Amino acid sequence: MARYIIRRLLAAIPVLLGLSLVLFAYIRLLPGDPCVAILGQHRTVESCAKLREHLGLDLPLWQQYVNYLTQTLSGDFGNSVINALPFTQEFTVRFPGTLELTIGALIFAIGAGIPLGRLAARRVGGWADGLITGISLFGVSIPVFVLGLALAVIFGVALGWLPTQGRIDAHFRFDSITGFLLIDTLLAGRPDYFVDAVRHLILPSIALGSIPLAIITRITRASVIEVANEDYVRTARAKGLAGKKVDQRHVMRNAWLPVTTVIGLQVGSLLGGAVLTETVFVWNGVGRWVVDAIENHDYPIIQSTILVFAAFFLIVNLLVDIGYAFLNPRIRY
Amino acid sequence: MKHLRIGALLSAILVVAAACTGTPAKSSTTLVVALPGDIVRTDSMLTDDSNSSYVIQQVVEGLVGLAPGSTSEIVPVLATALPTVSKDGLTYTFKLREGVKFHDGTDFNAAAVVYNYERFRTVPDALQEYSYYTGAVFGGFGDASNLESATAVDDYTVKIKLRTVSSNFVLTQTLPVFGIQSPTALALGLADNSETDITKITGAQGGAGAMVGTGPFKFSSWVEGDSVEIVRNDTYWNTAAIAKLEAVIFKPVAEETQRVNGLADGTYDLVQVIAPADVATIAANTGLQAIDRGSSFNIFCLQMNQTYAPVSNPMIREAIAYAIDKESLIQTFYAGAADVAKNWMPMNVQYALDLELPTYDPAKAMELIAASGETDLTIDFWYPNDVTRPYMPDPKGLFEAISAQLEAVGFTVVAHDAKWRSGYLDQEAAGAYEMWLLGWTGDWAGPDNFLSTAFFHYVDGKPSPEFAYKNDKLDATMAAALAATSDAQAKKLWEKAQNLIRADLPTVPIANSKPQAGASIDVKGFVGSAGLNEYLNLVYLDRTGN
Repeated sequence: MARYIIRRLLAAIPVLLGLSLVLFAYIRLLPGDPCVAILGQHRTVESCAKLREHLGLDLPLWQQYVNYLTQTLSGDFGNSVINALPFTQEFTVRFPGTLELTIGALIFAIGAGIPLGRLAARRVGGWADGLITGISLFGVSIPVFVLGLALAVIFGVALGWLPTQGRIDAHFRFDSITGFLLIDTLLAGRPDYFVDAVRHLILPSIALGSIPLAIITRITRASVIEVANEDYVRTARAKGLAGKKVDQRHVMRNAWLPVTTVIGLQVGSLLGGAVLTETVFVWNGVGRWVVDAIENHDYPIIQSTILVFAAFFLIVNLLVDIGYAFLNPRIRY
Repeated sequence: MKHLRIGALLSAILVVAAACTGTPAKSSTTLVVALPGDIVRTDSMLTDDSNSSYVIQQVVEGLVGLAPGSTSEIVPVLATALPTVSKDGLTYTFKLREGVKFHDGTDFNAAAVVYNYERFRTVPDALQEYSYYTGAVFGGFGDASNLESATAVDDYTVKIKLRTVSSNFVLTQTLPVFGIQSPTALALGLADNSETDITKITGAQGGAGAMVGTGPFKFSSWVEGDSVEIVRNDTYWNTAAIAKLEAVIFKPVAEETQRVNGLADGTYDLVQVIAPADVATIAANTGLQAIDRGSSFNIFCLQMNQTYAPVSNPMIREAIAYAIDKESLIQTFYAGAADVAKNWMPMNVQYALDLELPTYDPAKAMELIAASGETDLTIDFWYPNDVTRPYMPDPKGLFEAISAQLEAVGFTVVAHDAKWRSGYLDQEAAGAYEMWLLGWTGDWAGPDNFLSTAFFHYVDGKPSPEFAYKNDKLDATMAAALAATSDAQAKKLWEKAQNLIRADLPTVPIANSKPQAGASIDVKGFVGSAGLNEYLNLVYLDRTGN
């Protein structure tokens, strides 16, 4: 197992290096540069030239890439060209928000997706199956920002049931220790604030979790149907084992494997979807920050965020692969 | 599996309970303000954006400031009176308030003022790009700065000496950039010009030594991208103006719709700027109020570059001015909340004249075109496709309406668009556009800030490539006006400059918009200002209606 993990970690290095090169080139190909974002209508040709020199943007591209790589490898992820704050500081402030949202969306997607998938599999061809399959098709088809805006308009603006902006009511003042508001509100001894944070989390989680929900539902359904037709399941049933026990011990245990893979892959799409969801719900997370960074041509922030997200994605997938061994004792690395 | 089910059930119960439970009553001592963007830095000198300035002016005070609601009425703040000026117009003497302390307990006195002005004068090379206004107002740094010296005459008297006469000096000192900060805090935050790497200056990054002034609020925290918090200064020197609120939280919200939705659902108490299109929505909601700031502090123009024909022809430019129905543009795109421009600056700027600019008269426009001798009436016309500005709420709509009006009198418009930050501003500044939409929001209410800084300044003794507008007499007049030693002389010269520009009509001023604020009906005491010098210590929340 240890050798497998080391091999996978080593394999991640060329992936990340290649990604850094592609990212670097792609970002530099975007028209414009940070000068207008920084100096706005006050900029002059001279002040822009001076700024570019100061930021090292006047150097040849290959040299800029080497500088960037050397800096990154030494653990320095650079500073924002807009407010000069270090990437690590700004990322640390925003990442708990994104993680809280991602976890909320995953709980929604898994919590609803697996039971729905199982239900559809049990009623293959029935009206419940048709309805669930239809809903999951709708979930996959609808863009996150459209669903987010629709949820905000219906449940926030029109009905007034749930808040649509931010992570918590800004009128509340308490010390944020971990950055995770669901934890910090409890540490501050304010269950009422905790409830408010949960209320703020509901709509963004549903919007972000809609696509993974649809995919998890469909994969669970397909996987359960497939396993349910295996010989060993038929044997178990023929033995006279109770339907519930067959489901839990024989069907689901084996149906979990593809579902787990998909959940791992969905973490990547959740991080990507967070960019849109955070923008729609004014959520202070890494996604909204990246949107601003792209708008401002804040090269170090765009590069480092995507690189860190990629590393995160690789690690999650490694953890999923390791998880297989626990789910299925036949798998050994 | 059983545990998973119980967990899922509990989560579902929690979510439903949370959704059904009301939140605690809104605080009546904390004001939440939505700004169009986040602050950039926490050091007034190293800041040139309006969001940072809006927050900083609540915390850091200058020697002089602007009266609430005004863009040009200068009032003493940390000085006891407006300064006396030497006969040669070079030395300004400020008498300072006694008994004032900075938020960190440091005494405010002449030494503190001298320390700050020395800092303005000697901004290190690597930091100058972050200190636009210091360079712009004093014309440079070090030996190139027009600020020759600041000296303490006694503990509470300071003399500031300029190298050349500058008639806008006192007015420019009202900018939040020239706020006086605690020398102890500046040294603590490495903001004393000793550190040249901005990333290490904690005073500018919201860390140690950040934003320590003498104002009615104290800086508390900045969570990047999320909020800035300031809290009441209970020992404010001006006891009559101690803040009524305990705290103010500023939230950056870029989208106009989100700001208005947040106002409607109680997320925000005050929205600094709302779009003209939202004014009616807010007025229709009994729980909200739209706040008119009274006057305008910006100008929106149809810009032209004289490198290109036919706009190089003065008769054509005059014809264009007659072809545009400014009143209808204001009714359609500004919901009426704008004035027809009478000048290249708003009328509340010093020495502004009504220049009697051409009014809508398509017949006259066609006559001028016929008389101009121009046969090719094709114009390349640009607009930004991804932004709105306070002076330009709907660039595409304005572009289409103006194009239609130009085509109605015989021009052929070739439409172009570009992204504001990825081409538009760069290209228009480089002189690549023949005609385009652009305006200016004032920094200070002096004519130099509009006529020279924003528009018709020369670069290295030549017309700027942006407009290619050559008028040496205008350039000399504006320079002489800035160096005027008396108000009467400055007035005469600035009036001459305005008339020179009017005669050439290099561009067409269209509107002075009046962006409004939106607020909950609970917000009382807010005094709006077109220049956004709005002091929140005057504000209080009356939640009794809810």
